[in-house]
Amino acid sequence: MKINIQQDDNYTTIGLDGAVDLSSSSDARKNIIEVLKENKNILIDLSLVSYIDSSGVASLVEGYQIAKKQSLKFGLFGVSDAAMSVLKLARLDQVFPIYNSKDEYEKEDV
Amino acid sequence: MSESIVHRFLNYIEIVGSSTVKLVEGAGYYFALLIESLAWIIVGPFYKQPVRVPSIFSQMMTIGIAACPIVFILSFSIGVMLAIQMIYNLKTFGAESQVVVGVALSITREFAPLITGILIAGRTGSALAAKLGTMQVNQEIDALRVMGINPVRYLVSPALLAMLIMVPILTFFADIAGLLGGALYTGVEIGLSFSAYVDRTIAALTAGDIMQGLFKSLIFALIITLVGASNGFSVTGGAEGVGKATTRSVVLSISFIVIADMIFTYFLNR
Amino acid sequence: MQENKKNIAIEVNDLVTHYGPRKILDGINLTVSEGEIMIIMGGSGSGKSTLLRYLLGLGVPTMGSIKLLGKDITKLNANEMFELRKNMGVAFQGGALLSSMTIGENVKLPLREHAELDEKTMDIMARMKLEVVNLGGFEELMPSELSGGMIKRAAVARAIVMDPKLMFFDEPSAGLDPVVSAELDDLILRLRDAMNMTIVVVTHELDSAFKIADRITVLDRGHILMSDTVEEIKNSDNERIQSLLNRRPSNEAINADEYLSRLTGM
Repeated sequence: MKINIQQDDNYTTIGLDGAVDLSSSSDARKNIIEVLKENKNILIDLSLVSYIDSSGVASLVEGYQIAKKQSLKFGLFGVSDAAMSVLKLARLDQVFPIYNSKDEYEKEDV
Repeated sequence: MSESIVHRFLNYIEIVGSSTVKLVEGAGYYFALLIESLAWIIVGPFYKQPVRVPSIFSQMMTIGIAACPIVFILSFSIGVMLAIQMIYNLKTFGAESQVVVGVALSITREFAPLITGILIAGRTGSALAAKLGTMQVNQEIDALRVMGINPVRYLVSPALLAMLIMVPILTFFADIAGLLGGALYTGVEIGLSFSAYVDRTIAALTAGDIMQGLFKSLIFALIITLVGASNGFSVTGGAEGVGKATTRSVVLSISFIVIADMIFTYFLNR
Repeated sequence: MQENKKNIAIEVNDLVTHYGPRKILDGINLTVSEGEIMIIMGGSGSGKSTLLRYLLGLGVPTMGSIKLLGKDITKLNANEMFELRKNMGVAFQGGALLSSMTIGENVKLPLREHAELDEKTMDIMARMKLEVVNLGGFEELMPSELSGGMIKRAAVARAIVMDPKLMFFDEPSAGLDPVVSAELDDLILRLRDAMNMTIVVVTHELDSAFKIADRITVLDRGHILMSDTVEEIKNSDNERIQSLLNRRPSNEAINADEYLSRLTGM
């Protein structure tokens, strides 16, 4: 898995690329938490994710909870059908703010 | 007629043969279990399957700390009992004061390791057999295996390590308790002061005496763990099977301990 | 579902097994495709539980091969088997939770042993899986404090915590009331749909089998009678399958000589 971090005006995009699984999810988690520590809004780009398992989802859950506590904006973008069904299994599709495009994320306020 | 005698003889041979096979099989199984548990302790970490330290400590707590009071009481009583017997015997020769040497050597070389071993066999060996047996019956052992968790590494190795550490420590504790029992009784009976008793005990004992006892206790720790674990693993037939395995493991452990004690005592004192 | 050329997840070839001198399974051939739900059915003593044990790699067969995810488990070394087991989840009949640990610790156990994850991540994963089986908030309880149905569901949570590709259920509905057992059936279907798991279920509950099966394999006295879709099984004219489906005791004609010799032992 590769991680691409891109800074925009008022948010940071973390792009996950490849398989987010037991061996790589702790890396993703570390990056997400780091960005949140800098008090930045965050958008997770999952459009290049080939596979995401529960450990990856767990990292997203943890990140979202931290963001909420700090009143930061957190969003998922480019969720594939496969990833969506993993989220749906634990009913997390109703929890995460999921966006269809970057614009949609940018326009919405916290 | 002669045919039936031959037949009976052959039958007898077969019984001897099959029980020998069973015995060798059993011994082989204990040995294999020993090698496997030791192997996990040593090479487990390299295969990312280490023996977990917390579980060793929790076992050490249950084996060791919890057994202290009963070990103290039993060993103390044996110390008193030895002092009574020896003073009675030595009176015949008017050598009551030699009781100190007698008690010191008997306790450290023989009675402390033996009583500790027997106690731990009844307490921890049976608990191990019952625990593994129940797990076997409830398919928990199978569950561990399908999760890729080797049951020997997960259950036997920590127990073995904990036993190898705690049984000698308990034995040393039993040494002290037994000597204390002897000292108190001797003080009351022939008026030997406590400090004089301690001085004479220290003079009478060599490091070898204590080491001999501790070495035997290591062997007992191995016996108790391996007999308990293998009886637990081999449980079949539900709750009744667990009960049988527990009983068998205690009886076997104690028998092996006494026999091993005899053999090692013989060789260690040549 | 099985018709559209899918990868084969489980392939058993000419499996023969013995228990002591007694032959239990004889000439078993079975394939399960990826994402398929295969039900193994049969009366007691048919060998279905034995077949499951061998599929789980808990026994050494006399003959034949068992391929899971393309790897022949009868030939794997310990390390390869260890790796393969990360992709397998098993829900045992009685749950087989470790009684000395809380539900949460039980669910986390495979993660602890197989993955190097942050404690927090493991906690969240375990709780997520407990939510999936509707046991959210139960992680602090001990197995002894749960009912039979809850223990079975907790066992499912533990089995799926590593997101396995293969999932095995041993008698999921045994000992459960109809409502709880229907819930478990739904859970099995949801797992397959969400994660495309390949699922093997050993059961003798017909209703549940018909509801969730893509295909059913009927075992009888160590042989496979039939391995086909629900419809085909229902329409089968095999007498023993029909007696199993209609819960009739088998009433075969008696071979007098054989019967006598069985009774007298001569």
